[in-house]
Amino acid sequence: MIQLKNLSKVFRTELIETHALRQIELQVNEGEFVALTGPSGSGKSTLLNVLGTLEHFDEGDYLLDGQSVRGLSDRQLSALRNEKIGFIFQGFNLIKDYSLLDNIELPLRYRGISASERKRRALEALELVGLAARKDYHPSQLSGGQQQRVAIARAIAGQPRILLADEPTGNLDSLMARQVMELLEQINRQGCTILMVTHDPDQARRASRQVQIVDGQLSDAAMYDPLAVKLA
Amino acid sequence: MEQILYYVKVSWVSIKRAPLPYALTVFILSLGLGVFFANATFYYQMNSDPLPHKSDKLFFPMMLLVPYECADCKPPSVLSYANVQKLKSSDIPSAEAAMYSSDGYLRLDSTQLPTPVNIRLTEPDFFRMLDVPLLHGAIWPDNKSRQDIVLRKAIALKIFGSTDVVGKQLLLDDRSFAVVAVLDDWQMLPRLYDANNGNHVDEVEDVYIPLETGYDLNYLSNTQSQTFDDADYRQLATDGRSKAMHQLQYWVQLDTPAQQQAYVQFMTNLAEDEKKAGRHPSPVNNQLPAMRDIVAYFGGESGDIKAFALVTLLFLVVCLFNASHLSLNRYLSNQYEFSLRRALGASRWQLQQQMLADVLLMTLFTISGALLIGFGGTKLMNYLWPINALFARWDLTLMLFLLAITLASSYLVTLYPALRASFGALNQQLKE
Ligand SMILES: Nc1ncnc2c1ncn2[C@@H]1O[C@H](COP(=O)(O)OP(=O)(O)OP(=O)(O)O)[C@@H](O)[C@H]1O
Ligand SMILES: [Mg+2]
Repeated sequence: MIQLKNLSKVFRTELIETHALRQIELQVNEGEFVALTGPSGSGKSTLLNVLGTLEHFDEGDYLLDGQSVRGLSDRQLSALRNEKIGFIFQGFNLIKDYSLLDNIELPLRYRGISASERKRRALEALELVGLAARKDYHPSQLSGGQQQRVAIARAIAGQPRILLADEPTGNLDSLMARQVMELLEQINRQGCTILMVTHDPDQARRASRQVQIVDGQLSDAAMYDPLAVKLA
Repeated sequence: MEQILYYVKVSWVSIKRAPLPYALTVFILSLGLGVFFANATFYYQMNSDPLPHKSDKLFFPMMLLVPYECADCKPPSVLSYANVQKLKSSDIPSAEAAMYSSDGYLRLDSTQLPTPVNIRLTEPDFFRMLDVPLLHGAIWPDNKSRQDIVLRKAIALKIFGSTDVVGKQLLLDDRSFAVVAVLDDWQMLPRLYDANNGNHVDEVEDVYIPLETGYDLNYLSNTQSQTFDDADYRQLATDGRSKAMHQLQYWVQLDTPAQQQAYVQFMTNLAEDEKKAGRHPSPVNNQLPAMRDIVAYFGGESGDIKAFALVTLLFLVVCLFNASHLSLNRYLSNQYEFSLRRALGASRWQLQQQMLADVLLMTLFTISGALLIGFGGTKLMNYLWPINALFARWDLTLMLFLLAITLASSYLVTLYPALRASFGALNQQLKE
């Protein structure tokens, strides 16, 4: 469902040009759980942002469900983000002045879903992450792991087909990290395609496929033989 | 609707997040707008047209019919009694009234303390031409001398304690007058019929008596009177009608362009005839400004108000600049939330709607503040220039105008920052 063709991304500042992504060729099929690994600064977040259409790219093409995202209008892009893609950020990115329910409802609002349906779906998502009892809490009243679960609930409340997670457990201790991983696996089993950036080799191994990125390029093994990586 | 309320709620939450900078923004904007309002009020009222449907049909004839030689003199703005009679020989105008003003003391009887009053000495057409509303009674029927008096509502209440006093007698300078009519509430603003004396910012007169009676009783003009030859302005009763004593304002109503042209021609002929008869040596110079242009004609626009208008406009610009700077900071510190909403699927258009809610809230706060400051400002201006006090009035048109200005200002203050925030790079803010 995701297809990157010879995709490149350059960051230009006054001083330097950074080739964050170089000629990326990547195909992700429906239902896969892809772990994206690589050293710091290698371009993992950039790749995820491009996939989430939060970032433009310079060359190549990105096909989502066979359709190029190039030349889509702002309205089409935001609808695509809203309906097909769920994003889990490294730093939770919850709005602290809103209740958990309000936070989770946020993407649903921009889709014009009725208030009652919004609430139903948001509660369902909170239920799934095990925090339904705290729906009226504010993010600051939760632990880091709980906040990340709320962020996951927000990402899945819109029933996206793709979940993009940038180091979802990076800020969590190992116990909480395990809970979050289990949650993601559960979501994946329900048919959601997941791309997850991680530094943790154990987590990467639990994914159905590992892709490694080094200096903006996919490493050979990942490109040509995902199965080999998985077995290693 | 639910969505609109949500946008308002989001605005409100973001205000609560940093209330102080927001309050400061609103305050600065209110200050600029309030000061601007105060001035705009005067400017608007001063330049308003009290008779929009006929101010282009009322004219103020002036002629250089003076017994002296002067090549490039403007004609005096007042006419002699004899000249008015000559002008009245034309039947082109559909209404015409000569007038001047004086002062006197009014009381019910000799036991009451006298009240000083402004008197307008005029003719019945005055009331018809200026659409003066009557509460009780009727204006005297012709231009003949008679001791009849018309009272303004407030003065009737003051002297009699009631308004229905037609037929009652009272004393004007201890001469008995009969009340023939009482005016309904009437405040011609500005009072354009008196603009030649620069008195158009004053209140209308308290009482009205026939012009001829004024001459008979020797009521001297309290504004402009010019005399020539051996005329003595104090001898109004005996010499006023015959000698070169110029003190009458004269208004005529000319309803159509044809009438206006014919009247200009009539004035030209009259001046030529007078010249032939040797009654004035100066070249012909007739003027016929319309009531609509009368203030500008006499250069009666207040310089103070104009200069102040410019200053307050500049002040408003400075305030707008400051407020939008503050507002920009506020939006930049909220940019994280903008980006987050974008990342979660809000379109730019949806963020712009959010911004409109911000604008509406800011307008609401700002107009309240601005009205308060504007109110204080007009009070202050009344104190500094008491003569303009009459003009410190707010009507619906003015309020709508002020609301529109506030909306525009709030929009300006919010527009640029919001655009910057909603078009900013998306991923930047979401990284920690
Ligand atoms: N907005 C930007 N402007 C300029 N350079 C950028 C920008 N964003 C990222 N880069 C550069 O692009 C490269 C890839 O960055 P990216 O954030 O994708 O790395 P990463 O793999 O996610 O690293 P980490 O594991 O530390 O999160 C880095 O060299 C970074 O400095
Ligand atoms: Mg990263």
